[in-house]
Amino acid sequence: MIQKIKYLTLLAFTVMLTTSCNKWLELKPEDGIIRQNFWKTKEDVKSAVIGCYSSLLGPMAQTLFIWGEIRGDMVSSTITSTSEQIDIMNGNITSSNTITKWGTIYQTINYCNTVIDFAPQVLVTDKTLTEVDLNAYLAEAHALRGLMYFYLLRTFGEVPLQIKSTSSDNQLEQLAKSSQEDVYNQIIKDLTFAEANAVTTYNNHDYDKGRITRYTVNAIQADVYLWMEKYAECIDACTKVIGSGQFGLIAGKNPDGIVNSQWFNTVFYNGNSNESIFEFQFDSQQVNPFFSFLINTTKQFVGSSFVMDEMYTVDPLDDTNKDIRGDLSSIRGSDGLIWKFAGANNTGSVRTATSSYAHWFVYRYSDILLMKAEALAWTGKGQEALDLVKVIRNRANALPATEKAPDPISSVDVSDYIMEERAREFAFEGKRWYDILRNSKRNKYAHIQFLIDIVTKSAPSNRQQYILNKYKDIRSHYLPINLYELQTDKNLVQNPFYQ
Amino acid sequence: MKRISTINRLIGIMISFVLLIGIWECKQEALVYTTTSDTNITAYLDKYPESFSEFRKILDLTGTASYLNAYGAYTLFAPTNDAIKAYLVEKGKTTIDQVDVAELKDLVRFHLLSDTIRSNTFTDGKLPSLTMFGQYLITGAKNVAGITKVVVNRQANILQADITLGNGIIHVIDHVLIPAKFSVAQLIENNAKYSIFNLALKATGLYDTLNILPANNPITNRKFLTVLAESDSVLKAAGFKDYAALKAKYCTTGDPKSITDSLHLFMAYHILYDAKYLADIASSQSQTTLAPLEIVTSNLVGTTILINDVTFLGIHEPGAPLDRAASDNSATNGVFNSVSQHYILKIRKPVRVDWDVADQPEIRKLTSIFRKSTTTVSWTKTAGNPFVDIDWQDGAMAFGPVYSWSLTSTITRYMLYSDMLMLQSGGPNRVLWWEFRTPLIVRGKYKVWVGYRNQKQSGSSTNVNQILVDGVALPKLLEFTVARPVGTDAELEAQGWKQYSENADAVVGARLLGVIDIKTTDRHILRIQNISGTQNNNNLDLIQFIPINDDQVYPRFKPDGTLIPRP
Repeated sequence: MIQKIKYLTLLAFTVMLTTSCNKWLELKPEDGIIRQNFWKTKEDVKSAVIGCYSSLLGPMAQTLFIWGEIRGDMVSSTITSTSEQIDIMNGNITSSNTITKWGTIYQTINYCNTVIDFAPQVLVTDKTLTEVDLNAYLAEAHALRGLMYFYLLRTFGEVPLQIKSTSSDNQLEQLAKSSQEDVYNQIIKDLTFAEANAVTTYNNHDYDKGRITRYTVNAIQADVYLWMEKYAECIDACTKVIGSGQFGLIAGKNPDGIVNSQWFNTVFYNGNSNESIFEFQFDSQQVNPFFSFLINTTKQFVGSSFVMDEMYTVDPLDDTNKDIRGDLSSIRGSDGLIWKFAGANNTGSVRTATSSYAHWFVYRYSDILLMKAEALAWTGKGQEALDLVKVIRNRANALPATEKAPDPISSVDVSDYIMEERAREFAFEGKRWYDILRNSKRNKYAHIQFLIDIVTKSAPSNRQQYILNKYKDIRSHYLPINLYELQTDKNLVQNPFYQ
Repeated sequence: MKRISTINRLIGIMISFVLLIGIWECKQEALVYTTTSDTNITAYLDKYPESFSEFRKILDLTGTASYLNAYGAYTLFAPTNDAIKAYLVEKGKTTIDQVDVAELKDLVRFHLLSDTIRSNTFTDGKLPSLTMFGQYLITGAKNVAGITKVVVNRQANILQADITLGNGIIHVIDHVLIPAKFSVAQLIENNAKYSIFNLALKATGLYDTLNILPANNPITNRKFLTVLAESDSVLKAAGFKDYAALKAKYCTTGDPKSITDSLHLFMAYHILYDAKYLADIASSQSQTTLAPLEIVTSNLVGTTILINDVTFLGIHEPGAPLDRAASDNSATNGVFNSVSQHYILKIRKPVRVDWDVADQPEIRKLTSIFRKSTTTVSWTKTAGNPFVDIDWQDGAMAFGPVYSWSLTSTITRYMLYSDMLMLQSGGPNRVLWWEFRTPLIVRGKYKVWVGYRNQKQSGSSTNVNQILVDGVALPKLLEFTVARPVGTDAELEAQGWKQYSENADAVVGARLLGVIDIKTTDRHILRIQNISGTQNNNNLDLIQFIPINDDQVYPRFKPDGTLIPRP
C-alpha cells in the first residue's frame, strides 16, 4: 500500500516536471529583444543609432534650456516657476536641487556607448555591412557622445568619464570624476574619429539636419576648441564648414529691400533650414517639452525686459524698421513670451500643445560665423572678426542703436561686441550662460567682470551683493553634483564650492 | 484502541497548531512612544561632540539644553568648538564655566531665532526676524582671494548650512557672534570721520533720540532707527568746513533743538525709521524720515544705491550715492549707514499733475502699438504682473487693462493722445480693484479729477467705483457709465464736472472726486475699488491732481497733447 502511494507520488511529480513548466523556465523575455538576438544585421545597427537620436527628444531640451539660460540675463521667472528654478536664479545652488541631475545626458551617452561597444560585432554576422558603413554609424555615436560630454564639461567642470556601455547590472561601475583636461581629451578623441568617418550627407535633407554629418562634427569641434582657447584649431574647423558650400544664411531681406516675411517660418517654425547644421527634430508625433514649460499659462520662464529694451531695441521713429530676430521672432515684446519656441508665425499666433514641435537648435550656420569671428578676435584679426559680425547684423537688419565700433586691435572689446551679437542671434537657444562663462574665463579669468556685471544686473535688489560675491568665486560657475549621484557613486567627490 | 489513537492524533495536531500559531503570534509589537523620530537641536549637538561639546556645555550652564530639545521652530547658529576656544582666548578665560552665566545667556540668545530661516532666504541685509537677544543678525557673502563664503554678522563664516532637525534648523559657524555694544549715536560719536555730523546731532538733541536702547524706548516706532550720516569730507566738499558753517547756513531760528528749525529738519531728514540695512533701502522705493512727513526716495542703479534720485517735472535730479564700504554698521538700536554726497530736504511747491494713465513704460515699449496702431493690446498676470506701476485683483478671470488708440474711434478720438486704458471691472467675473502708482506728487492739497469717456456696455450697465489714495477714500464716486452734464464751465465746476478736452462733446468729461491732502512728496498708490455694477467699457483717460488754489478747468488738452490756455 505504502509502496503504491510512493510510486504514485513519484509519477505525479515526474509528469508535472516534464509537462507543465517549460514556459516558466524560459529566461528570455517573450515580448522584447535581448542583446544576444539583436546585434545581427546592419538594420539593427541603424536602428540603434537612430535610438541614440530619439533619446534627445525627451526632456533633454528642457534641461539644456535651463542649464544654458537661467543663470544668464535673458530670462525671467514667472509665478509658476519652481522654487528650485528660483533658487538657481538667485545664486542659491545646492546639490539637493534636482536641476543639477545629469541623468538624461548620461542616458544618451550610454546609448552611444552601447552602439560603440556592440555594433562592430555585426561585421561578422552581416556580410553586407561594410567597414566604411559601420564606421559611419560609429562616427555618429562618437560625435553625439562628444557633444554630450561637452555639455557636461561646460556645466559641471569635472565629471566621471563613462565610455563603456552599461548593459547589465554587474557592469555598473563606480567612477571617480575625471579632470576637465581628461574630459576635453576624450571629447577631442571622439570628434577626431567622427570627423574621419562621418558622412557628408545622407542624401536626405531632413536627415542632414537631424543626424550628425561631418559638418556637424566640425561645428562641435569649433565650439570645443573655442572653449579651450585653441583659436587656430577653431578657425580651421569653422573654415571646413564654410568651405563645404552646404550652408548659408537665410536672407532677412529680399533683394528688393523688403523684409523676408517667411524668415521666422523658415528658420524657426519649420526648422531644418539651409542655415541649420544640427537640430533636435521634434515633430507632431514627438512634441518638445516646451508647451507647458514656456508657452501656455503654466510657463515657467519668459524673456526678461532687457531683451527688447537693450538687446534688440526698437526704432522710436519707424516701427517697421525692426531687427528680424527681435519682436515676434525670439520674443513677443508685449509679454516676453519666448517666441522662438512659442510662435506659430511672425504675426502673433501661438503654438498649441499638439503643434509644439519647434526644433531645438544646436548649431546654425550663423554660429559658425560668430565662433570664427571670436577666434579671429583673439588672434589679432579684429577687423576680419568685425566684418563677420557685420554679415550677421546686415542679414538680420540689426538696428543702429545696437551697433558699436570697437577698436579692432582690442580683443576684449571686439569679443564683448561679439557676445552682444550672439545674444541677439541665439536668444533662448541655451547658449547664453556658456557664452558668458567662456568670455569671462578666458585667459585665466582675466575678464570675470563681464560675468559679474551680467549676474548683478538680473539679481534681486536685496540680494545683489550676495550674488555678486558668490559669483566672484569662480568655483561657483559650475553646478554641484546632485546628491543622488553622490549617494549612489561613492567615488564621486562634490565640487569644491559646494562641499 | 484505534479510536483513542485517532483522538490522540487529533489532539496532537491541534497542539502543534496552537504551538505554531503561538510562535508566530507572540512577536513583541514595537510600540512608538514618541510622536516623531526626528532628532532635535540638543540631540543633534550631542551626536557630534567633536564639533559642539563646548557649545553644548554652554547650553547646560545656561539651562537652555532641554528647551532646545523640545517642540518648537528655531534657527540656531551653532559655533564649533574652535570658535568657542577662540572666544575664550579673546576673553582671557580658559574654560567656559569661568564666564559669567548672564553673559552666556545673552550669547545663546544672540545665536537663536524663534523662526526657521533657511540659507536660501539670506539677503545682503538683516534676517527677517530678530534674535532672541533683540538685535538683528545680518548676512552676506564675502570673497577673499577668490573664495566666497557666506558670512553672518560680518563675524563668522557659515561652515554648514541648513541642517534640518525636528525643532528647527542649525547653521554651523566658525566664530562666536558678538552683539553690538554701542547705540547708533555712540557709533557716530566714536568715529572721528563724522565729527561735524556728531556735533550737529548733539546740538539738535537728536543724539539722545539715537541713544536709547530699544527696550527702554517708550516710542514704539522709534525703537530701531537708521542714520544716513554725512562724513566730514562729504560736508567739506559741500562747503561746510566745520559745524559752525553748517549751523550758519541751516539754523534759521537760532535754536537747533526746535523741530521747526531747518538744521533740525536737515538732521532729522538723515534719520530713517526702522533698522534699514542697504539691502532694505535698495528693495523699497521710499523711506520715511524723522523729518515730519518727509521721505527720501531710493533707487538701485547698477550696484549703487542713490538717495533722492528723482525726475520732477521732466527734469532729472541726480541722487546721492550711499557708501557701501562705510555702511551696514549694526548698533544696539539700529543701523549706521554713510552717504557719500551731501543731500538736503528740498522745498517744493504743490504743482499740478496731469497723469495720462495709459502712458506706462511697458506700453511705451510697444512702439508699433503705442499711440500708433488701432490694434488693442491686453495683459494678464499669468506670467507674473507685466506692469511695474499697475496691479489688479488676482484670479482666474482677472483680465488686466486693455490699451487702445485711435484718432477716429468715437471712443478715443477726443481723449488726451487719443488713447486710453479700458478697465474691465465688477464682480463676479471681472476684477474688483485696480491699483496704479502715481507720478511724483508734491506734498500739499489737491483736487482730484478723473477724465473718462462714458460708455454703457448694455442699456442697463452701471459701474460705480470708489477711489482711494494711499488707502484714503475720496468723497465722491466715479461712475464710468454716467455722462458729463452740459453747461458753462462755471455751472459744471459747481456740480463737480468739467470739460477737459478740446471738443465740447459731453461723452468725454472729468469728474471731481474730492480734495486730497497728500502728506508726503512721493509716488502714491491710487486704487479704483468697484462698489457696484459690472461691465467692460470703463474707459479711463487721465487722472489730474490740481493744487486747490490753481485753475481747475484750464489748460485743456487737444487730442495731440497740446495745451489750450484759458482764453
